[in-house]
Amino acid sequence: MYGIAMAKGLLVTLKNLTKKPFTVQYPEERLKQHPRFRGEEFVWYEERCTGCASCAKYCPLGIIKIVTTPSETAPAQGDKYKLELFDISIERCMFCGLCVEACPYDALFMGSGFEQGQYSRKGMVIDIDQLRNADKRPSAFFRPQLEDAGYDPQGGRPLDWQEVGRESWQWHEREKAGMKIARPVPSDLLADGPRVDSSFVEDSVPEPKATDGPAPAGDAE
Amino acid sequence: MDCVLAPDNILHDTLLFRVIYEWVGQLLPCGLSYAVAGIAIMLLLVNGVLLGAGGFSWLERRLIGRFQNRVGPNRWGPFGALQPMADLFKLLFKEDLVPRGADRIVFTIVPVAMMAPVVLMMAVVPFAKDTALANLNVGVLYVLAVTSITSIAIFMAGWASDNRYALFGASRGVAVLISYEVPVVMSLLGVVLVAGSMALDDIVSAQTVPFLLVQPMAFFVFLAGTSAELNRTPFDLAEAESEIIAGYHIEYSGVKFALIQATEFGAVLTSSAVMVTLFLSGWSGPFSDYLGWAWFLLKIGVLAFIFSWVRATFPRLRIDQLLAFAWKFLLPLSIINLFATALEVYFLRNDAGMLTTNDLWLMAGINFGVAFACLLTFGTLIQDKVRPAKSLTAASLSSPEVG
Amino acid sequence: MLFQDIVFWILSVMAVGAALGVVLVPDLFRAALLLAVVFVAVAGFFILLSAEFLAVVQVLIYVGAIAILIIFAVMLTRDVKHGNLPNRLQIPAVVFATLLLATLVTVAVDTEWNFLPAEQQERVDLVQTGAVTTLTGDLLTESGVAVEDQPEVQKAGLADLLIGDFVLPFEAVSVLLLAALIGALALVRPSPGSRRG
Repeated sequence: MYGIAMAKGLLVTLKNLTKKPFTVQYPEERLKQHPRFRGEEFVWYEERCTGCASCAKYCPLGIIKIVTTPSETAPAQGDKYKLELFDISIERCMFCGLCVEACPYDALFMGSGFEQGQYSRKGMVIDIDQLRNADKRPSAFFRPQLEDAGYDPQGGRPLDWQEVGRESWQWHEREKAGMKIARPVPSDLLADGPRVDSSFVEDSVPEPKATDGPAPAGDAE
Repeated sequence: MDCVLAPDNILHDTLLFRVIYEWVGQLLPCGLSYAVAGIAIMLLLVNGVLLGAGGFSWLERRLIGRFQNRVGPNRWGPFGALQPMADLFKLLFKEDLVPRGADRIVFTIVPVAMMAPVVLMMAVVPFAKDTALANLNVGVLYVLAVTSITSIAIFMAGWASDNRYALFGASRGVAVLISYEVPVVMSLLGVVLVAGSMALDDIVSAQTVPFLLVQPMAFFVFLAGTSAELNRTPFDLAEAESEIIAGYHIEYSGVKFALIQATEFGAVLTSSAVMVTLFLSGWSGPFSDYLGWAWFLLKIGVLAFIFSWVRATFPRLRIDQLLAFAWKFLLPLSIINLFATALEVYFLRNDAGMLTTNDLWLMAGINFGVAFACLLTFGTLIQDKVRPAKSLTAASLSSPEVG
Repeated sequence: MLFQDIVFWILSVMAVGAALGVVLVPDLFRAALLLAVVFVAVAGFFILLSAEFLAVVQVLIYVGAIAILIIFAVMLTRDVKHGNLPNRLQIPAVVFATLLLATLVTVAVDTEWNFLPAEQQERVDLVQTGAVTTLTGDLLTESGVAVEDQPEVQKAGLADLLIGDFVLPFEAVSVLLLAALIGALALVRPSPGSRRG
């Protein structure tokens, strides 16, 4: 009959009155982000950085400005530059993470905060002192060693420069040794620690099954 | 000095006016106190409408939020109650632009011309026993006449903006308005027939059974028609925010826009007041001698809730669907209602021309049956015919005939 | 009475000023709006004469429908901001308008306008304001009409007159409206050969 559908629609809306609204009252409450979340901040480990400026070269927008001088204390070749200037302008940054992908030394990570609003354009440039003093909670974006270790940047502790590199990651060691290991990473290669619940992320890596053993160590090239 | 209002003065029956007049008349000369009493009641009405508009805008945003599973504005003041003030201040501080080719005088008058019918309509509505500002003998017709002034104001808004898209929006808005005036007028004729008088006070007294029950089809037609005249969703094609042409008020900014928005919300409250008086038996209820105004406000609140509920639920109609709804659905319904009501009143009326309460219940029963039958008939008649899609086979694709 | 005189003069100034504006203002849209102002002023006059029903009907029909019709026509015309184009009929129009004005002024001034005695005036007021209420016997007795006069007063209501004595013009007007409506529909109908039809 004409109008029954309209009445049903009205009833649905009326029932919504009795349900609890799912509004998150920002800024008192915040939604939890997933570990690979690319925030508006950057985490930079000066101890790992050599001043190669690969991040500046890879940036599609050209917003990273690096000025280096040869280091006075290190030998002339094979060591780090001294960084005078390391500016990242987040005014035009699109947070693509290509700079993070480019860094060969795992010195640059995406941060996981998103509340960098400033009142002036000058405040939108992250300079080297800010990077040095920032809170070192790196996002697990493009850093499988952090993700497989189950690190949660939103709730975990700040990490030191020794703990974040690829060299501590077992798969990297085995790959260097010529083994091929299938993903998902078998459980005996994972670090112990709390797993984070990323079930709401659609393409999250499923939990590895305990029965899978490592693939045969053949086809090594 | 004791100033007494003569009994043939039209304002004699308005208790509020007489009380203010006699009270002020002890201090001031009588002519002056007449003017003062009039201005006092006028201020009461205007402020009531404007404050009500602000309050209703807050209520509607909270309600629509809850209907959509979210919280409405809740930052300014407790439960966001100062949000209308925040909106008002924002609009006050905005730049007041007048387009270069626009007609300045007409452009400036338009917000006032849109607000005037809303306030004027409140003049005849009785809030409580004996408390309408002007208990006109032709109250219902006055309400309809004042509503028709809105069309001119919309035209003024569209033309004075020097913007052809505003003109398109205004033309559509006026087309909708004049299309929906006809079924609204005819539905009110049924109410006048049953009550036997056009004075709103008499109509409230005649509602021993609320006319919502005695005239269900008239109520539905009046509700739908008023929604369209107020440009409320689902009929708000002329001024919806997501239309590319935001309608006739596209060139208005600042205080003028604030007044137009206040008009829109105030008109909802005023039309609800008229609807309460005509169909929901106005200020009557238990203890209506003292609490008549409270019942009145409560019923307006219920109708405002229904308006917000409908707005949160239904999608918008296209302009051709709007006009088809008015001319092909509402108009036949209102004519049939008028016919049925006229027959019932003619046969059930006693010698003095009055209808008793039992007669009203009988009419209610018959009218509900008529309403159901009409809804079925006209509902099927007005449905869009949906052709079933032809299944795509290789034969149909390779044949040379087109769709 | 002073109050009514003041209101009368205000309305007269408004009506005459707006009427002059309709004719003299070059912008056609503003002229149409001033015409609406004239209609509202005339409605005010009706209220002064205690004919509330006519006043409200005047606003409803003239302002609510006819003024809108005129504004629609103005909008569909091009180049309305500069007023009328010059034409050759200006001198004959002035002559004709002056003659018409002279005729109307003579008729208005020379007529014997009668003022009714007080009790008849009351009865007229009752009939006019009660035009849309059922004038029951009790209402009439309350208002001081003698019992033998009641049927005559009851039959003098506007509705009774329209359906009783003046039913032929009433029905003729409705036939005229029907013809106009059908004519309008016939004008805008798409031609039978078109694809939309």
